[in-house]
Amino acid sequence: MSLIAATHLKKVYGVGETAVTALNGVSLQVEPGEFVAIMGPSGCGKSTLLHLLGGLDRPTSGSVMIDGHNLSDLSDAKLTEIRRRRIGFIFQFFNLIPVLNALENAALPITLDGVKPAEAKARAAEWLDKVGLEGRSDHRPDQLSGGQQQRVAVARALVADPALVLADEPTGNLDTHSSEEIAGLLRQVANDWGRAVVIVTHDPRIAAYADRIIFLKDGAVVDETVLEPRGSSNGRNAELAGR
Amino acid sequence: MSVRNAILGLLADHPRHGYELRAAFEALAGGAALWSVKPAQVYTTLARLEEGGLVAQDSVEQDGGPEKHIYSLTPAGQAELADWFASGVPAEHQRDEFFVKLMLSLSTEVASPYRVLQAQRSKLYQELHDLTTRRNRADPRRELAQIFLLDKSIMHLEADLRWLDLIEARLDDIRRQPLPRPTPRPRGRPKIGIRNSRNEEPGYKANTSP
Repeated sequence: MSLIAATHLKKVYGVGETAVTALNGVSLQVEPGEFVAIMGPSGCGKSTLLHLLGGLDRPTSGSVMIDGHNLSDLSDAKLTEIRRRRIGFIFQFFNLIPVLNALENAALPITLDGVKPAEAKARAAEWLDKVGLEGRSDHRPDQLSGGQQQRVAVARALVADPALVLADEPTGNLDTHSSEEIAGLLRQVANDWGRAVVIVTHDPRIAAYADRIIFLKDGAVVDETVLEPRGSSNGRNAELAGR
Repeated sequence: MSVRNAILGLLADHPRHGYELRAAFEALAGGAALWSVKPAQVYTTLARLEEGGLVAQDSVEQDGGPEKHIYSLTPAGQAELADWFASGVPAEHQRDEFFVKLMLSLSTEVASPYRVLQAQRSKLYQELHDLTTRRNRADPRRELAQIFLLDKSIMHLEADLRWLDLIEARLDDIRRQPLPRPTPRPRGRPKIGIRNSRNEEPGYKANTSP
């Protein structure tokens, strides 16, 4: 079973003459451990699609199945729970809490979910180590580089053990070197840790790390390129992980 | 030409035989997969360089084997090599098979220009994925030069992909413009006093295809 199964997604903002169709019949499936990049010109519906896949917004019509849950059928409370436990989010501007250190930021989702502070911090510390931030746990965001802050955000996205990680322009605020490091880390999230990863990006060099690129235009999928066929035993993409 | 000048450069280090030159060139150029040369090309080039007085050949007897031809650089070859090092190499960005393909798709209706663009984009992303993989596999402690060569290709591919996006965004505008056509040239000797009306025709025709 696919981890993501989105069917005929349509999203219209506004009504009547001012209505704007952001997505117009998008269907896609993503498998566990797969890394998918979504590309397209500004305003093509990339971020809208990511928001619908993450349950941050509801489609006008069509359905999103995440890990066996039909998001349309869920109450707001249940949707929040699925978001917090099964989906990790990474944003362009990191969205870290300035007054919390790296460990506290990474632990935040499970702390809010009621996990005891000691256990939450232990799990967060484990993920900070995995993303290459050992020794930086007590640094606040303003004491970290952009690339390091995004690594904290990756640890925060993974701390709840989600099945899916969604990233909206995760390298849009980083230099080329840090961007490729984050792309390699996301490759590792898919390869080594088995999560499905879906990113929106404008950057061809980042999209080249994915297994598959989906191209959107005017709210519809216009093309798709498979870079790493499924079942290829991750031969080449294993080389891209953890750069 | 690159192979010719590279051979001069390799001989500046020390005299070598043809096989050694070929292997050294391929290693320097990024590996045989990236730029391979046939033995015949090396020997033909060496023969021309010898004819031009840029290299000299010496034969060395081998124990139980045929004579080995060793080539070395002459003073004229050293001067030629110095000129090459002192001048720039022109970038080769203008000739583009994909561009010709796209223009043909706009004029013939055999293929959709949008599909041609998509096929090209897919191909370039495959290459970008492969090159990124190879670059990340390379060891920066031993293969830094090769990494920079791969980086150059990656940067060019990135630029090509962005260029495809620009074309795709303006493809409808391009289709509305006339396609370039050759300017007719008068045949034979120009006749004095007779105006050749063909020369006054515009070199473009309107592209009426939708």
